Amino acid sequence: MRYENRQSPEGINVTEHNPVAHLLKLLAAAVVIIVLVVVLANLFASRLGRLIPFRYEQALMQHVTYDFSGAGSESVAMQEYLNTLVQRLSPLLEVPEDIELNLHHNPDGVFNAYATFGGNIVFYNGLLGQLPHENALAMVVAHEISHVLHRDPVAGLGGGLASMAALMALTGSTGAGAVGNLLNKTGMVAQMKFSRDMERAADRAALSAVNQLYGHVNGADELFKVLYQLSGATAEQETTFDAFMATHPLHQERIDAIAQWAAENGWSTAGEITPLPENYYDWL
Amino acid sequence: MFEIVSFLVLLVVGYAFGSLAERRHYRSIQKLEIEFNSIPAIASRYPPVDKAYQQQLVVGNVVIASDYFKSFLAGLVNFFGGAVVSYESLLDRARREALLRMKKQARAVGADYVFNIKYETTSVGSGRLASIEVLAYGTALTPSGISIPANPGS
Amino acid sequence: MLVSNLEILPNRKIEAHLGLVQGSSVRSKHVGRDIMAGMKNIFGGELKGYTELLQDSRQEAMQRMLKQAESMGANAVLNVRFSTSSITSGAAEIYVYGTAVKLDDAQNHAAGTNQVTTHV
Repeated sequence: MRYENRQSPEGINVTEHNPVAHLLKLLAAAVVIIVLVVVLANLFASRLGRLIPFRYEQALMQHVTYDFSGAGSESVAMQEYLNTLVQRLSPLLEVPEDIELNLHHNPDGVFNAYATFGGNIVFYNGLLGQLPHENALAMVVAHEISHVLHRDPVAGLGGGLASMAALMALTGSTGAGAVGNLLNKTGMVAQMKFSRDMERAADRAALSAVNQLYGHVNGADELFKVLYQLSGATAEQETTFDAFMATHPLHQERIDAIAQWAAENGWSTAGEITPLPENYYDWL
Repeated sequence: MFEIVSFLVLLVVGYAFGSLAERRHYRSIQKLEIEFNSIPAIASRYPPVDKAYQQQLVVGNVVIASDYFKSFLAGLVNFFGGAVVSYESLLDRARREALLRMKKQARAVGADYVFNIKYETTSVGSGRLASIEVLAYGTALTPSGISIPANPGS
Repeated sequence: MLVSNLEILPNRKIEAHLGLVQGSSVRSKHVGRDIMAGMKNIFGGELKGYTELLQDSRQEAMQRMLKQAESMGANAVLNVRFSTSSITSGAAEIYVYGTAVKLDDAQNHAAGTNQVTTHV
């Protein structure tokens, strides 16, 4: 018997392939799948969420109390003023009878306002104190009411949960490594798109109401101008990258959108600014 | 933003250094395979009986780490399922290198053949960092009459 | 001690099978090596530290197996096999086992030898 080792050619156990092309192909396919699944899950769940009757939201929130007293400020006067604004805006926004809006004034310095389940809307002192006139405040109030009308809190929660679940099911096997991380981030970015769309829709509805209230939309974009200044960002700093990662559209984009909608609908952008009540800043 | 940049840097660095190391390793393997071709490694359990041989266990092992690019690509394939081609060369290199190291020991004891070749492959990485160890071993057959040096391979 | 992973020694006679002998060694890599390994996992390439660590570990397992064989009065271990398992991330068990046998006196056979030593 003769024993020898003959050399076998290369490339039998190792597949000849272009690794970079392979990576790009797989990456593109994975991103497309993730985005598609998140979008579908979100569409489905947010639509489903909006089908839930509003009174279920109210029932859910009836035991939640919004007690922000403790700062001891005259928040009652502020609350009343905000309520009159809501009453003036409600018919313009065509708020249905079954939707009940509850306004809350939080004396915290946080620069924020949000709408949540059961028609509850919270305004923070941080935001209220930065507004120079009533037109700006009306825009904010109308924006938050629009969120309630569009059922955005429940749609957002449903869509968010559904896309989370879809993402987890998809990327569960890839785990917490670089791949799982990347795919999850991609899913989040896709999810953010829905949040921004909701903001845009609320802005649009609010602008229309403000136009009806004052006969013009002058000053409606004031909030975003203030936000823009506060963020300290220059136009160069707000990059396309940030735009993809944010829950809200960029401030400049919202200002531009307001101007565009006004132009499209022939709403006047010049008009008399309505000042805030005399004691407004004392109520903060 | 920083996260994306550092990820891309790792990917590029991993690809550049990883494929450089792989090319270099393959060149060395191909050279040594020709050099050690005179000692056939046979997977048979039955030693030749043409003459008297001394038997001795010889082993060779190597631990090879995957690079970042390969690991990421493998993770991506894991998302879809299918052939993880990026790890094929890693395993191929490790098996051939381990066998060569075994043959090196065999040459040190003056062996004609190595019989009953066995491989052991283990993943020794921590977490998802893929590193594999391949052990190759077999029985070196040295014609009787050649005295075996005390410390082969070292 | 003759150590082989064959079962047949054409020119020697097995007088007695003395049973299974085994050696095991569990080792964990140390921090310094772990950091190096982390770096290598970006660039790729051989982890020499681990290669040596596992070599040492196998040597130890082999010594233990041989000690068992000696205590049984064997002069050879045949059909030797290795097994490696990573127990947790960071620790590996090396296991080596084989059949301890008593070979006939090599001097009786012109072709045989008893000067075989083992090097792993």
